[in-house]
Amino acid sequence: MIPSESAATWRSRTSLLATILMIVGFLLTGISWWFLLISAVGAFGPGILRELGWLDDKDEFQLQAIYRAGYHAYIAAGLMAFVLVAYIRSGERQIDHPQELATLFLITLCFTWFLSSLIGYWGPQKGAFRILLTFGSLWLGFAVLSNIGNEWRGWTPLLLHPLLSLPFFAAAWLALVRPKITAGLLFLAAAFFFQFFGMFQRDNLSIINQGVTFILFLGPLLACGLALLAMKKSEPTDE
Amino acid sequence: MNPNFELRNQVRHFRRAAEVTQQELADRIGVTRQTILSIEKGKYTPSVALALLISEALCVRVDELFQLERGTSDDSK
Repeated sequence: MIPSESAATWRSRTSLLATILMIVGFLLTGISWWFLLISAVGAFGPGILRELGWLDDKDEFQLQAIYRAGYHAYIAAGLMAFVLVAYIRSGERQIDHPQELATLFLITLCFTWFLSSLIGYWGPQKGAFRILLTFGSLWLGFAVLSNIGNEWRGWTPLLLHPLLSLPFFAAAWLALVRPKITAGLLFLAAAFFFQFFGMFQRDNLSIINQGVTFILFLGPLLACGLALLAMKKSEPTDE
Repeated sequence: MNPNFELRNQVRHFRRAAEVTQQELADRIGVTRQTILSIEKGKYTPSVALALLISEALCVRVDELFQLERGTSDDSK
């Protein structure tokens, strides 16, 4: 590995460009879903170029985090595939919206890879702290805006809905001081919200239609819980 | 790796002795600061090439930076 002078700049530019492509592609799906292919270029383009040896934008530690994240995404998407195939073929199941099924797989694959690469790079504690804080803030913003955006529904929903983001903030702080206990609490919170959102019913696997909620809400809880559970020792501070 | 051996490193010790920050060391050898942090924590074992670059940047021999230590099971033999 021979470092170049502008290696750091080049690295950050590649990630920035890939992120921009992903966001732009996703936003343009409002016009046509074909634009989602732009997101695919952002998500998988750098990886393909690296495998071809045409892009050298990551150091070896970053590459290790990326490769492990790929393995984790394979496990998560593979497990989901087995469960869904077993469920769908075990009886007369009606899939009302097959496109949601494809979306669920895509989100599971990309989201697992994304969270795992962040945790692999930052470490379990710092990674869990930042991820939970970010998603807690996103859910808080969403809860507030959805209550004041379209129509005023009163103070009670405005004050109660943001409480959904509370587990994220509480767990973010606790992850830094009690990682193993936090892991257990995150699993409990995930199980509670799985039930709360009514994601599993025997004859109607509503998780398929609520895939985005499942992944964006429960995904960070489960990913951070697993990372904290698997960590071996506490992380020392940066300099 | 053999579970009876543990890789220890003195990167943090020698970097501080050389009065170099993690960011400065990272810039010198073309990696991110997080990579240096992970090596110092023992979370990541660098390749031979990266270990040589670190030793060169800190003017220390590689075997002074990284050592294999025997585990307790071997000590009892």
